[in-house]
Amino acid sequence: MLEYAWLIPVFPFAAFILIAILPKRTLSWEDGAGYAIGGAAAALILSVLVIWEVMSGSTMVGDGPKFEWLIIGDISFTFGIWIDQLTAVMLVVVSVVGTLVVIYSGGYMHGEGENRRRYYAEIMLFISVMYGLVISDNYLQMFIFWELVGLCSYLLIGFWYEKPSAASAAKRAFIVTRVGDIMLMAGIIILFKYVGSLDFVTLFDQDNAAAVPTDMMVLATVLIFGGAIGKSAQFPLHEWLPDAMEGPTTVSALIHAATMVKAGVYLTARSYPLLIQAPESLLFVAVIGGVTALLAATVALVATDIKRVLAYSTISQLGYMTLALGAGGYLVLYADTGGGYSAAILHLMNHAFFKALLFLCAGSVIHAVGTNNMRLMGGLGKKMRITSMTMLVGALAIAGIPPLSGFWSKDEVLAAVYHAGEFDGIFFLLWFMGIATVFMTAFYMFRMWFMTFAGEPRSDYHAHESPKLMTVPLVILAALAAVSGFALFISDGFKYFIEGSIGGLLHEVHHESATDMLGVIFGDPLTYVSLVLATGGILLAYKMYYLPGFDRSVFARGIPGRLQVALENRWYISKFYDDFALRVVYSISLVADAFDRYVIDGIVNGFAYLGGRSGNVMRTMQTGNVQRYAGLIVIGLCLLLIFMLYIVPWGGW
Amino acid sequence: MIPIEYWLVFSSLLFCIGAYGVLTKRNAIVVLMCIEIMLNSANINLVMFSSYHTVLHGGADPSGQAFALFSIAIAAAEVAVGLAILLSVYRQYRTIEVDKINILRW
Repeated sequence: MLEYAWLIPVFPFAAFILIAILPKRTLSWEDGAGYAIGGAAAALILSVLVIWEVMSGSTMVGDGPKFEWLIIGDISFTFGIWIDQLTAVMLVVVSVVGTLVVIYSGGYMHGEGENRRRYYAEIMLFISVMYGLVISDNYLQMFIFWELVGLCSYLLIGFWYEKPSAASAAKRAFIVTRVGDIMLMAGIIILFKYVGSLDFVTLFDQDNAAAVPTDMMVLATVLIFGGAIGKSAQFPLHEWLPDAMEGPTTVSALIHAATMVKAGVYLTARSYPLLIQAPESLLFVAVIGGVTALLAATVALVATDIKRVLAYSTISQLGYMTLALGAGGYLVLYADTGGGYSAAILHLMNHAFFKALLFLCAGSVIHAVGTNNMRLMGGLGKKMRITSMTMLVGALAIAGIPPLSGFWSKDEVLAAVYHAGEFDGIFFLLWFMGIATVFMTAFYMFRMWFMTFAGEPRSDYHAHESPKLMTVPLVILAALAAVSGFALFISDGFKYFIEGSIGGLLHEVHHESATDMLGVIFGDPLTYVSLVLATGGILLAYKMYYLPGFDRSVFARGIPGRLQVALENRWYISKFYDDFALRVVYSISLVADAFDRYVIDGIVNGFAYLGGRSGNVMRTMQTGNVQRYAGLIVIGLCLLLIFMLYIVPWGGW
Repeated sequence: MIPIEYWLVFSSLLFCIGAYGVLTKRNAIVVLMCIEIMLNSANINLVMFSSYHTVLHGGADPSGQAFALFSIAIAAAEVAVGLAILLSVYRQYRTIEVDKINILRW
């Protein structure tokens, strides 16, 4: 049944087409939400069937149905499907989160009127192309969907396009990710040059990959990861993601949990057989991930916009995944275990659930209060019981408190990084950054929770719990966020399952029972280090933002004060980009403009001027005097005669 | 028999005189007359080569003579047409000086 997996993107796409073209009265409920939920649910059912098949052992790697769409000489480009364990997990993540977000939108977007039709159409296209990206069986197909994902994020971030900040945030997201896209394209071109094919089945064959010279392989993999840096908002291209909060909260939830940013991590995980060929790139991946995790977490400490806190936490968590992928590559190479790889994918899945939950909770709060600013909130816990409780589950999950999902995957990630330290010392440094991030994550999540739900209201609002349509998805997501970590122990274990998709790279597959794994996790002192740090972060937040009488002004003076200003300005990275754009790019543009205006246009206009002037000169020969014409004819004839009689024989022609 | 060079020089001179007249004379009738001179220089050549053909290759070939006659007939017709044109040009512009009739230009 796996050969029918291509239907997964088709259902949401059909919903997109229907919502876009049907007459208004046939859209009925919520201007098309019914069609959207239908399309998303159909894809969800198929995705569950797919993971069921994959769990029972069948995959479709390189032998699926293909559709040839471009033939150049001997080379043909195809659309195909590639279903392995990684794809199956991604499909489930995208479909579960996508469906719940669409259901939630039914309540959240209620007040948007006519625009809802555009909203649902774009959301369905977004989900559809994300499925397309996930099931791609070659880099070109993936790149096509990759760009479409970028386009949809542009459309949705700029959903309220009449607001200048939303319009510019959309542009920023599009342009910044485009930098990564160009790198990805360059990487793909390098691979194509040496291997002559873009199909995963050819490229991932270790013999074919050996055809690429080592330094070119490093370059290609770094460039492909460059695409992930852009899409997954890794340092230094991460600044578009916090700005992307200008879109509706549901869109943020979708971008952060299921689509867009997960595409970058997915790409890196998918390219593992290539990355393994170039350990230098793995190190690069890991360092970028570690730096991103720490940097973004520090900024989240001081953010006051509830969505921006979540945005920076997403960047930080994505950094974890990237770090785990980089460290995991070292483990595959030197320790023959897929521990880091599976940790990254498990964290991707867990993060999808708890981050979607957190965003939808934030959406519920914003829906009730009408502002994003946490300084104006407070005391919502009593009025919004379901929202506050589900958000608490999400916050505990992301902080890494057992037995919620975040604990298991974060612990796996840190263990993998620490383990990789045996092979390269820099991983110890990265592990230290990761463990510092654990503390900060716990702190800023609970700072957010206390500022929002605890204490007394700090401004005048009449909050009320959101409708059922919004709270039911919250409860489902909270349940998922609580238990998805136990995937680690289902049947043969998540690790064993996901190692199937990089099976060719491992010499032997390690099989651990659930009790063994529990023993490893709780027998490791490092687990308690991160646990203590997470608890410490929560307690510090409790002391600072819940208990009365804490004097926060100590942070406003001296070095902490200056640090705080730097953090509030997001380490000046955004400002740096603005200045960079203003000074460097703008001056280059000025030069280019001048070149175009004076050199290119000068040449074109010069030719026109030359034609005009020479016409002016030549037309004076046209006197209308017949005798003059006759004279010219005679002179011409004489010259022709001289030429034919003397020059031609003399030249010997 | 008169040497062939004499004939050639004579007809060339005649042609040049005619061409000079065409290029320099302002009166259109004189121009027309000069064209006749040029035509006649060509006729002389035709007749001359025709007679030399008989001498050099034996046997008569009168095609040169025939062409000369043909061209005289055409010249006559041309003069008739040309004078008619000049007449109507004179009616239009009250002049037949060719450098005054120059409206066909930019």
